[in-house]
Amino acid sequence: MAGYGVANERLRVLEELEREIGASLQSAGTVILELSKEKAGERLLERQAAQFSAAIQKVESELSAQIRYLTQVATGQPHEGSSYSARKACQMALNRVDYARLKLGELARACEQMLEP
Amino acid sequence: MLGNIYGARRLARGRRRRARRGRGQGRSERGGAGPRAAMAQQRVLPQSKETLLQSYNKRLKDDVKSIMDNFTEIIKTAKIEDETQVSRATQGEQDNYEMHVRAANIVRAGESLMKLVSDLKQFLILNDFPSVNEAINQRNQQLRSLQEECDKKLIALRDEISIDLYELEEEYYSSSYSLCDSNDLPLCEAYWRQDFATLSPESLSMPLTAATAEQSVATSQSSTPSHPHVNGHGAGPTEHS
Repeated sequence: MAGYGVANERLRVLEELEREIGASLQSAGTVILELSKEKAGERLLERQAAQFSAAIQKVESELSAQIRYLTQVATGQPHEGSSYSARKACQMALNRVDYARLKLGELARACEQMLEP
Repeated sequence: MLGNIYGARRLARGRRRRARRGRGQGRSERGGAGPRAAMAQQRVLPQSKETLLQSYNKRLKDDVKSIMDNFTEIIKTAKIEDETQVSRATQGEQDNYEMHVRAANIVRAGESLMKLVSDLKQFLILNDFPSVNEAINQRNQQLRSLQEECDKKLIALRDEISIDLYELEEEYYSSSYSLCDSNDLPLCEAYWRQDFATLSPESLSMPLTAATAEQSVATSQSSTPSHPHVNGHGAGPTEHS
């Protein structure tokens, strides 16, 4: 699957967004926890609140971009492409190699038998 | 194109139905409903995709709004006010309950966003045709290159073996082990005879077995009367001393 760069790039972006959603909820929890303390650290509060806000903005913008892209490329039809023919041809080539190896093995065994005293 | 055919059929069926019911309706109404039916038929499939994507957008907006609003309200509720309508304990309990509910709303909206991402992944895999086309092309290219490499190596092997076979035949037919008789066949005939007979490695290695057992040459000749010389040229016994 490492060869299918473009195909997996969008999926990787979506996985990154999942992590980002988790991070935003984590930041929100940290802010609320900090607020519950007697003496809340202002810098930590501001930093975490900024992180939360940035994460939510990023999630919204990226997901909107993905939905916009899908609106442009999606059709109502199923994809009917296939790599079956190439796979079959490759399989036949590998079968040819196996057959040749088998025959050479038999020939080698026959020669060894002849050379035995 | 299919949509046009279905639309035309529906149009025809609709006209026949209306004609059977009566001629009360005006022609303009009939004429207007037909193309509209065909258009609606044509629009069914893309509209479902469009509706789905619009629902994704709505879910995204609602979930993000829910998270932001609930978070903001929690921050506002955390502010301690000096003047309250009820006692501080009651206000505290109310604020506690409200924060719990809002926190649960934030978590629910977050999980809904995760579900949305999962749905988008599925939709992408099934409907992102440029990526699917590229993935198929890459796979085809890989498989084709592997096939060409296998065939190239087999052809190189064939060439090497044919050279060795030529040398072996030269050696064999110039040695005292090969006997030529009237049953010698040309190469092509020997090949086709082997095709009709059972083609097995034992029959190909028969000359080698005959070469090692000098005493049973006569019996092996009698047991294999169609023992062909694969190569066209065979050395006669008179050439060897």
